[in-house]
Amino acid sequence: MPGFNFDNYQRNNFLASKGYPIPKATSTGTTIVGCRFDGGVVIAADTRATEGDIVADKNCEKLHRISPTIWCAGAGTAADCEFVTQLMSSTLELHALSTGRKPRVVTCLTLLKQHLFKYQGHVGAYLIVAGVDPTGPRLFSIHAHGSTDVGYYLSLGSGSMAAMAVLETKWKQSLTKDEAMSLCAEAIEAGIWNDLGSGSNVDMCVMEVDKPAVLYRNYRTPNERSIKEKSYKFARGTTAVLKEKIRPVVDAVQFDIFEETIIRDSDKMEIDS
Amino acid sequence: MSDPSSINGGSVVAMVGKDCVAIGCDMRLGMQALTVSNDFPKIFQFNNAFLGLTGLATDVITLSEVFRYKVNLYNLREERKIEPETFANLVSSSLYEKRFGPYFVGPVVAGINSKSGHPYICGFDLIGCINFAKDFVVGGTSSEQLFGMCESLWEPDLEPDDLFETISQALLNAQDRDAMSGWGAIVYIITKDKVVKRLLKTRQD
Amino acid sequence: MYSEPYIDPASAHAAAAPIEHRFNPYSDNGGTILAIAGSDFAVLAGDTRHTTGYSINSRFQPKVHTLPCDPPILVSANGYSADGDTLVRRLGQRVQWYSYNHNKAISVAACARLIQTMLYGKRFFPYYVHTIVAGLDEEGRGAVYSFDPVGSYEREQCRAGGAAASLIMPFLDNQVNLKNQYDVQTGEPKTAVYLSLDDTIKLVKDAFSSATERHIHVGDHLEIKIITKEGVKVEYFPLKRD
Repeated sequence: MPGFNFDNYQRNNFLASKGYPIPKATSTGTTIVGCRFDGGVVIAADTRATEGDIVADKNCEKLHRISPTIWCAGAGTAADCEFVTQLMSSTLELHALSTGRKPRVVTCLTLLKQHLFKYQGHVGAYLIVAGVDPTGPRLFSIHAHGSTDVGYYLSLGSGSMAAMAVLETKWKQSLTKDEAMSLCAEAIEAGIWNDLGSGSNVDMCVMEVDKPAVLYRNYRTPNERSIKEKSYKFARGTTAVLKEKIRPVVDAVQFDIFEETIIRDSDKMEIDS
Repeated sequence: MSDPSSINGGSVVAMVGKDCVAIGCDMRLGMQALTVSNDFPKIFQFNNAFLGLTGLATDVITLSEVFRYKVNLYNLREERKIEPETFANLVSSSLYEKRFGPYFVGPVVAGINSKSGHPYICGFDLIGCINFAKDFVVGGTSSEQLFGMCESLWEPDLEPDDLFETISQALLNAQDRDAMSGWGAIVYIITKDKVVKRLLKTRQD
Repeated sequence: MYSEPYIDPASAHAAAAPIEHRFNPYSDNGGTILAIAGSDFAVLAGDTRHTTGYSINSRFQPKVHTLPCDPPILVSANGYSADGDTLVRRLGQRVQWYSYNHNKAISVAACARLIQTMLYGKRFFPYYVHTIVAGLDEEGRGAVYSFDPVGSYEREQCRAGGAAASLIMPFLDNQVNLKNQYDVQTGEPKTAVYLSLDDTIKLVKDAFSSATERHIHVGDHLEIKIITKEGVKVEYFPLKRD
């Protein structure tokens, strides 16, 4: 983040003082989990994004790739999760390039917590960071204020209690990959059914030592919409139209000028020589 | 009602059809309950991308100019037209730059990629989180009504003419149940090589 | 979730002002209801999810009630369910007393007026509900009455109430009253005709499945009560549970 722009800050505060408070951004009421297993780590998330009581996106992606072997699941303010993750991705790539080493999860974790702490919780990203690096499989969680946790199994978001209930009852030491995957899916499903902020599908990412990470987009889809009773297609001409204008997609006039400037016509160019 | 994005009113909707996309908006500009203008379109074209902008009118105008400037620079630098996907990322990063002093807008992007021919639509929140959708996206003061309409009326693979009826009926009936939107409507039907712009007959109250 | 309170920089350093704590007697239990009147029937439908905040309290808490009178009247009070249940229970008592006092069953129109007085009687501590009544009028036609929390009411062809009312109502305008639709042949605005019971049920099911998709407080089961001259029939359909 080269830096934020505060041009509108004063205006918006003035508006707030006049009784026009700043509207809420899409805060993803979410269920995300992570779980370690023998030889790797898995993270999972639901796919519902809400704006207040309304579902803004039924199938959004909450699993973000930071590097090919480090992935992160995000809860909290949707935009913050997306951009903080993109920032880490680029910083970590540059770091890997300059050191000539593979990026480590702890490096990512430190970078993230320092960034989030700097913004004192105003960058509202709550993340579960996981991956495999030369030191092995790693699993962490980070809160928006910059605190971090380590664990064999973690959950975050508004559905974290529902998910943790499953994790606490069913988790055991040294799980297999398949066991960890179904445990995580089950934990997310607990959030999907029992937390109103979470819903739709289960996304999952499995990171194994010495293997490329695999993203299972819509690993489970238990909420397919049933077919509607009726089709609501209208007869053509049902809507009353006052005026109609038809033209090519790109305005010809606008691009005539533009296209002229890029003409590379050898005959015309050689007049001077 | 008392937040900056619902002072002036207005709404937009975009939908995907079979090899086509549609985007529509209302025409109202208000100051709280008082209607000031019935000629305030909220859709702007930037090469292959169409941008619907709702929210605080001053920010709608400012941002449309910002994007005109940025897209012109893109054209000069890259010597090519901007595609909807690229434009969506431009909108996203421009909004997130103002994370702690946002523009009060609810943008919607629609268009067809001129290379691949794929229809593309997406929506944003006020700080630039992209909402990729396969079916429809909505924005503005009648977004709840639009969600209800679109969720009921929309079906996959509508031909351009059918898509026009569906998006128009969704928009019209939604804005009739919102005091802050209405007073005319414009709908664009975009296919790979052609844009049809229609002004709809609507209630004038 | 995870939202921090907004602190005005101007007042942040001011001396701590006294904080007033208040008891909030109301809460929102979500859910949505919908009624449509036909030529010789009326339907009143509602989902059965009961919520507070992000939690589901019950997946099956029916809220469409049949009043103890003959011919029966359907009523649902959606919003704060404690108020809704209380209103319906007291209404049931009043309706029974009406039959004892007048030796005849209450009509829908009279029942609607009774609800108005009951709601307005609590003008300054209202029942926090959106009330809808459905029945058959004295000519045997379907009748739907809808009320605001303090008793303003109107007879209508159809009405949606509750959490997802704003999602469903424009759909009803369009599909029941054919708003914004023009006849392709004549170019004249289409005029509404009575829907058949079959089409009405289909419309109700689609309205609720759509609302369930986009509203987090709607789901689990759909309960449709249909009132005809034969009496009341109840149907249940599953809705999504996420």
